[in-house]
Amino acid sequence: MKSIINLIVCIALLSSIGAYSQSQQKIEMKINEVGNAKLNISMTMKAQEWQIWNSNYGNNPSALKRDIERSMPAYFLDDFKLEKDDMNRSFNLSLNAYGVCEINKRGKWIVDTEQKDAQLTELSETKYMLVSSPPEYGGNLQQTYIIELPEDAKNIKTDKNAFGKTVFEFDMDAPSSGFNFIRWAGILLFIVGGGWASKNMLDK
Amino acid sequence: MKKLAIPLVIGLIGLVLIALSFMRSKQVNVDDIDISIDKASFIMPAAHRVYANPDAMDGKYYLFKAKITNNTSETLEDVTVKYRIPNYVDWTELTVSGEMFPGQTLVVPCYPKLKNDITEKTTESVEKTEIEISWDGAEDDDIIEEDFTFKLTNRNEYVYTGIKSEEISSWADMYDNDALIACFVTPNDPIVKYYTQNLQEKLLKGEAASVTQKPEDAVRFLAGIYEATRKSHMVYSGTKGIPKSTEDVQSIVQQVRLPREVITGNTGLCIELSVLYASVLSAAGIDPIVYMVPGHAYPGFRMNGQYYAIEATGIGGEGLGNIMTAEEAFNQGQKQLNEFIQKSQAGDPRYTIVDIHNVNAQGVTSMDLKDNDFMRKKVDNIVASWSGNSLVQPNSPRDPKIRVPEPGIRTNNNALSFSIPNGWQTMMHPLPQMPIVTAQVIAPDQMTTVTIYDIAVSNAQQGMATINQYFSSYGMQVDYQINGNTLAGQTYSANGNFSWIGKVLRRQGGIRIVAVGTQDYMYNQNSGIINQVYNSIK
Repeated sequence: MKSIINLIVCIALLSSIGAYSQSQQKIEMKINEVGNAKLNISMTMKAQEWQIWNSNYGNNPSALKRDIERSMPAYFLDDFKLEKDDMNRSFNLSLNAYGVCEINKRGKWIVDTEQKDAQLTELSETKYMLVSSPPEYGGNLQQTYIIELPEDAKNIKTDKNAFGKTVFEFDMDAPSSGFNFIRWAGILLFIVGGGWASKNMLDK
Repeated sequence: MKKLAIPLVIGLIGLVLIALSFMRSKQVNVDDIDISIDKASFIMPAAHRVYANPDAMDGKYYLFKAKITNNTSETLEDVTVKYRIPNYVDWTELTVSGEMFPGQTLVVPCYPKLKNDITEKTTESVEKTEIEISWDGAEDDDIIEEDFTFKLTNRNEYVYTGIKSEEISSWADMYDNDALIACFVTPNDPIVKYYTQNLQEKLLKGEAASVTQKPEDAVRFLAGIYEATRKSHMVYSGTKGIPKSTEDVQSIVQQVRLPREVITGNTGLCIELSVLYASVLSAAGIDPIVYMVPGHAYPGFRMNGQYYAIEATGIGGEGLGNIMTAEEAFNQGQKQLNEFIQKSQAGDPRYTIVDIHNVNAQGVTSMDLKDNDFMRKKVDNIVASWSGNSLVQPNSPRDPKIRVPEPGIRTNNNALSFSIPNGWQTMMHPLPQMPIVTAQVIAPDQMTTVTIYDIAVSNAQQGMATINQYFSSYGMQVDYQINGNTLAGQTYSANGNFSWIGKVLRRQGGIRIVAVGTQDYMYNQNSGIINQVYNSIK
């Protein structure tokens, strides 16, 4: 199972601009109560980087969408929105990713980080930060992930999967399944009938 | 009693409704479970190991992926997804999700483990995949069944792209499957191994390029493969390569004869000869490269960070004429390689390389092939033909017929030269914000670099202090040692540690520092090429 972390690699820079520059990319991932995620990726670039990115993706957002989809075969992605700010050489991309979490046989929710010994910083009870520098870019790209687990997540802990990669593991109750009219009508009738019968017996 | 009858009936109805509500909750309306299938249009048997590996090429080669959304109001337990491909894959469980809450989506990709005998498939067919989705407590009627068809090509078919025609916008899209050519490179094929062993023993009378790691030894071996094909009167010949449509995908589909078929058939197209060379080079422990250019492909290898090439189709054929010698074929290959480097440096996307061992490491591995006595006998006949005429005299290191090129860099008005390995890119004044950097040469791995600093100071100590000053404004720090005119050090930055060695050269108006190095963790691996460049600095 591939993780969401790999998603961003294909929108990173395709060329290194000198050995001593490093670009920063921020990725916010907010997971909802049914295990889907809303992603926001933002980045500001240097002028030359901006030109390269624009020629590859910025001027052809459908290629960006396709490459992201192809690099993330483990998920279904939709609702891509790209906002470019040419004046400041930055972009913001948002999208939905379905099936980011799964529930294992023990009933635990699992989110895979796809990183060995990921150095996580706890920002709040349900919010974590992960800094990564993909080796594919020779250390020229630093990615900061903010991973926000659902508000109802409990007993959050990090563990390792079978491949030694860091995973989040937590408990979460099923969302309420709505108002059950038949059940509540039955309870009401049972109380009314029981009360009425009791009253009649006492009157006797 | 009458007074109690009505309220008791009402209470009883209430109880029945409560019971019904619980019974109904366990009944799932199957129509409320949404299924969406994203499938591959075709599967190439040659790449069966790639399709079976979720990690190969980041998992982009899957048979299908299913999106299952639970739109019922109930939690489904132990949701199981299984599939089969009749005659190829028996019912196989893909996943079991412990629970699936209302509104939750499960995404299940499928990487089919096709049997090894798939590589014996010589005809194309359309196959069906059947999928079953069930959960704890599901009745037979509830089990969701889906199916779809896909094309299973024959083992020799190589489809250039799997991208839908409506989405193709560039050359790279049209040749998106370039990496899969590595599946046709079969160094572990017993027939290829046997051919390679004979080549090493009977034609070259010994070969140790993978041990010595000397480019001249590897070039000798490359020329040996060429001589072997020429001596056996192997000829250049075409095979079918036609555009085909498979559902939404339109692509050229090339029939690629396997290396064993090229050897025993004694004929090959450019891509087939490239794949044969790559197989033999790989079997001999050398890193093979296939250079892909518009309308053509040619083989070569990489050693100590340098790239070499040969024009394998120089064998031509008596019917075609113009049969090149090994020397001519190598020179032609090197000429094409230089053009390749120029074009790719200029950003021409049509010039790409397939680094076979590199893509092998990404999970693109060769197909399984069985030994074959008949083919071994054919190899024996071919080997006999090598010594039938005049004995092949491969290049000896003492009397090289093929000169291994040593490209260098020379600055116009300053006396600096050093060897730049083939394929490295030179950038003059790459960092405007750091004017002391005159040039930088970067290896194809983008990690190993040679950096030339021209600094208007009188000694190395002052020069390094100037460099340190520039670096500190970028959050970097340099630790170094000076010994006469040699330097060694490490640069620390947020990108990691960079280890390097360098030389200090006097020049008019100051000094020149030439530093060559790479990321700390790659230093040992690249030390051969680093030392080679360092020793060539004059």
